[in-house]
Amino acid sequence: MECGASDEGSRSQKLLANAMPFLSHGSYRIRYELDGPADAPAYVLVNGLTQYAELWAAYCDALLARRFRVVTFDLLGQGVSDKPALFINQDDHVAVLHRLIGTLGDGPVFLSGISFGGLIALRYAIEHGKRLSGLVPMSCFAELSPQLLLIGNALRTGLILGGTSYLQDLLLPMNLSDRWLKPLLDKLDGVKRQGWLVNDVYALQNLMESFLDFHPITSQLSSIAVPTMILNGEFDFLTPRCLHETLRVEIPDSALVIIPEAYHAFTLEKGALTADLLARFAEDVLAGRWQGNKAVLIAPGEPGGELSPFPAGYDHLRAIPVQRPSP
Amino acid sequence: MSGFLGPLDADGRVPPQQQTRVAAFLISAHGALARQFALALPLRIETAWQTELNAQFYRESEIVSLLQRATIWVPDIALGYMAASWEAAWLPPPTGLTGDRSLAPSVNLATLAHAVHAAIRPAALLPTEASPADPFVLALRRIEFESGRLLQAQILFLKGPELLPFRDAVSAALEQRHNEVRRLWREMLASIGIDPRE
Repeated sequence: MECGASDEGSRSQKLLANAMPFLSHGSYRIRYELDGPADAPAYVLVNGLTQYAELWAAYCDALLARRFRVVTFDLLGQGVSDKPALFINQDDHVAVLHRLIGTLGDGPVFLSGISFGGLIALRYAIEHGKRLSGLVPMSCFAELSPQLLLIGNALRTGLILGGTSYLQDLLLPMNLSDRWLKPLLDKLDGVKRQGWLVNDVYALQNLMESFLDFHPITSQLSSIAVPTMILNGEFDFLTPRCLHETLRVEIPDSALVIIPEAYHAFTLEKGALTADLLARFAEDVLAGRWQGNKAVLIAPGEPGGELSPFPAGYDHLRAIPVQRPSP
Repeated sequence: MSGFLGPLDADGRVPPQQQTRVAAFLISAHGALARQFALALPLRIETAWQTELNAQFYRESEIVSLLQRATIWVPDIALGYMAASWEAAWLPPPTGLTGDRSLAPSVNLATLAHAVHAAIRPAALLPTEASPADPFVLALRRIEFESGRLLQAQILFLKGPELLPFRDAVSAALEQRHNEVRRLWREMLASIGIDPRE
C-alpha cells in the first residue's frame, strides 16, 4: 500500500482512502499506510493534533528513496480513522501505536512524532522502548508548562467558539514562518481546506482534551534507553526550547538539534531537511555511529549539510548570546 | 458518486433537487430536536442549566426557519417515505440507558443532539466554487458552525459528573446514535448521488 499522495490532490486522496488498510483497536478502525521493502528498517511517523497522514507524503518519498519502510496513520479521532464520540484516552493512542508497530515484524523500528504525536511517541518509548531502535520527538513536550497549558486551553476555546477553521487560523501564523506564509496569503483557504474537511470539531476537541489533563512524564524520561534525536525549531514559541531541554537533560542517549529559522510546524515547512535528518539519524544508529552525549547541535539550512555544535560557552536556552555561568 | 454537492449552476448554486432533499433531512433532524427541547423546557426556568435548554430550543428553531426560507424547494415524491423513516429514527430508544430512569430522557435527548450536531457536516458538502452569496450555501455553513457551538452543551452534560458512573453505557449509546444518524445522512446523500467519503 502506497504512502499518501501530495496534499494538493485531496479528491484523489479520498478515493485512495477507500482502498486503504485499517487496523482494529477494539471496535474502532485506524487507517494506516505502509510502504517500502519488508526487510528494510521502518520509520513510523505520528501526526500532530490537526494533521492527517497525507501530510507526510514528502517524507514517504524521501525515506523510501533512502531504503526505509514508512508507516503513517491517522490517530484515533483524526482523518479517516474512527472518531470516538465522547472520550479519547492517551493510552488508546499508545495502544494503537503498539499494535501498528507489532505488524512490522522484528526489524529495526524508528519512531518519530510531532507535537502531540511526539508526546505519544515519548510515551510509547517509555512503555515499549525495547522495540525501538531510535526515537525522534519533534516540537515536543513532556509536561505542560503554564504557558503551554494556557495556550492549549485558549486553542481549545478557539475551536469551540470558532470551529476547526478558526483553530487553523490561530495555528498557521503561530507555527509557520512569514517566508512560508507570504506566497500563500491569498490561498490560505485552500491550504486549510483538507484539514478542515477531514477533521471534525468534536473529534479534535476530544483529542485536545485527552492531553490537557495529562500527567507529566518528565520523571519517566530517564527510562528511555534508545538513541534519541530531539528536534526543535529555532523560533518555536508554542513548545519553546525549555520544553525540549527537559527531554535532552532526562533522556540519557539524546541530542537536541535546533532547526534554524523554523517554527513549531517545521515538518511542513522544512520537509526535505527534516526527512534528511531523520534518515541520517537512523543510518547513524544502524551503523553504530550515533553518539547522543546530550549534545546541543544546530541543523544545517539545507538537506545534506553538516550539523554543527552549539557555540561553546553560550546558553542555548536564550535568544540572545548569553554566556553560560562558569561551573 | 461525487464527494460534493453539484454540479453547481453558473451562479454557484446547488441544484434545487439536492437543496430540497438536504434541507428536508436537516429540517427533520433539527426540527425533532427543537420539539424535544420544547418539551423539556419548563414554563419557568428554575435552574441555571435550563437556560441552555432555552438556547438550544430557539437555535434549533432558527435552523428550521432558516432552511425553510433559504432553500429552493422542488417537488420530490420520495420525500414522504424518507421523512417517515427519519422521524422514526429520532424517537428515543425504548430502554433506559443508565439504569437511572430519571436520567434516561435527558441522556436520550443529549445523545441525539450530540449525534446531529457532531456527525452531520452540511458545509463539508459544498465545493469550493459554491457561491458565498447564495442563501442555501450560507445556511449550510451557518448550520455547521452553530452545530459546533450547540454541541458544547451536550459534551458538558454527557461528560459531566452526573453521568460518570454510567460512562461506558453513555458512550455506547452515543456511538450507536452517531452510527444511526450517519447512516441516515449517508443514505439520503447517496439518493442524490453524493458520497462524502469520495
